[in-house]
Amino acid sequence: MSYLSTTDFTEDAAFLERFGQIMRGDLELGWMDAARERPRCRPQNERRGLTFRDLDVGTYGFTDMPELIRHNRSFAPRGAALAEGLPDLQADVNRKSEVWAYNVEGYYEEAMTRQWNATTDIPWADLAGSELPEDVGKAYAQLLTFLTEVEMIATDVPAKWLGRLNADFFEVKNFIATQAMDEARHAEVFRKRALSTGFGLMRASRHNECNLKFLRDADSFAEASLTLHLQAEGMVLTMFRFSEYISPTEADKKLFRLVMQDEARHVGYGMQHLKWVLDHHPERREVIHQHLDEAENFVFGAGYATEVLEPFIILAGKGLTRERVQEGVRITSAFQLKQSEEYFERLARCGLPERRERSRLWKFVEMNRQALGAAA
Amino acid sequence: MAIAFPSTAFFLALRDAMRAEQERFQRLGFFDTTFGVRVLPDAPGGPAVDHTLGFEVFDCVAVREGLDGGTLDFVLEGPLTTWREMLDVIHALGAADTAHSINTLTHFGERLRVRYDDPNGHDKLYRFAESIQQFFDLAARLEFTYPDGSRPPAREGSAT
Repeated sequence: MSYLSTTDFTEDAAFLERFGQIMRGDLELGWMDAARERPRCRPQNERRGLTFRDLDVGTYGFTDMPELIRHNRSFAPRGAALAEGLPDLQADVNRKSEVWAYNVEGYYEEAMTRQWNATTDIPWADLAGSELPEDVGKAYAQLLTFLTEVEMIATDVPAKWLGRLNADFFEVKNFIATQAMDEARHAEVFRKRALSTGFGLMRASRHNECNLKFLRDADSFAEASLTLHLQAEGMVLTMFRFSEYISPTEADKKLFRLVMQDEARHVGYGMQHLKWVLDHHPERREVIHQHLDEAENFVFGAGYATEVLEPFIILAGKGLTRERVQEGVRITSAFQLKQSEEYFERLARCGLPERRERSRLWKFVEMNRQALGAAA
Repeated sequence: MAIAFPSTAFFLALRDAMRAEQERFQRLGFFDTTFGVRVLPDAPGGPAVDHTLGFEVFDCVAVREGLDGGTLDFVLEGPLTTWREMLDVIHALGAADTAHSINTLTHFGERLRVRYDDPNGHDKLYRFAESIQQFFDLAARLEFTYPDGSRPPAREGSAT
């Protein structure tokens, strides 16, 4: 117990007297006159239901929320009357621009309606009848092991920050709560799929885990979001699409379509957050670049680690014979190019078009593109 | 009477099939995007057939001939041969197989291409991937003909 009450209520005469009065029917009712706005919010679109956007009114709303949240340091929900003596919960993040994103309320509503169930929405019975050749099966099990690792840390990161955000960032807190649930479901579905292949979980990835540790230990939510939502999840989104492309069964294709939906939503939040930061605080551009410099270094090391790269080559080529490996290398190289191009494309759209010039990763992408062109 | 692919009537029939599956699409969640479908002629020089499909909440709310400039999140584009191959598989199997899902056909742009201006719009193809796939899979229920008058193969195991 690190936080103790300043009062022992069972020994506090004034408190006990007041409690006794209320229980005898002598109500105080001071809370009934609390100063607050009294909107009667209605759905703007009845088919959509009552959304957070419909609640964007007056002091309850988010549009007019100030950049610095000085008045509320408690769990008081935004718009409620703040009573004397509310505790200072010492939120780490009290600046709107550290967390906010255009349309965050829309991403939350979308997340809530697009939840799915790893236990019942995947046709596991169909998969029970599918046997994978040993080389492809082991490669797939290794990919699933890697993805389970990724998704476990992707669950931890939003969960770690959830309680550190000021309570006034209600919509963001709810969105990252859905993200933690999404990522937990991804870890679940990849673990379940790995353990249904007959090959079990394979080898954990040192390079990948170092990258994930960098991501987890970011100094601020804004840095964590930049690397988690935009960079890591952007690249993982392309990886999920590639995994759908190379999936051996229709059930696996459905699995990857379902996880890619969630991932694309998280990337959407990341893009709209970075755009918000650059629109409102352009002076942070250099700090963002510095963080991306190191993040891209980790990504390069993790993405090109043996236990990540080789399964893709085997799955893309559909086997381990010389010809199939060559085909797998060709397809995987094209995937890597696509992955990096889409990442830089997103950054440019958010307002960082100069990232390509600065990035060592982009220079490698250019070399890779030239090598592919020469080989074609 | 069989409808033609590609045509506005074909996409309106898909819309109606989607409305008949309201519960299934509601279960998949909000589906908010407007995208284009462009069917290119197999022979060079012929006209492309373009349609705009709009989705909102759980429903297909717009089917229009042509591409709505500026409002589209992305355009799925490819030759009639590829669209036909995809629809043949869907019609025969009831849904796309591993080689003919929208993501697989578009992934490297070799069969179908995804055209877009804004990566955020492009990502909607993936945010709503399962809804889009299930929308196209509804073609399994339609009776339609291709421009040469041929029909897609009957459902495997059916009496026809």
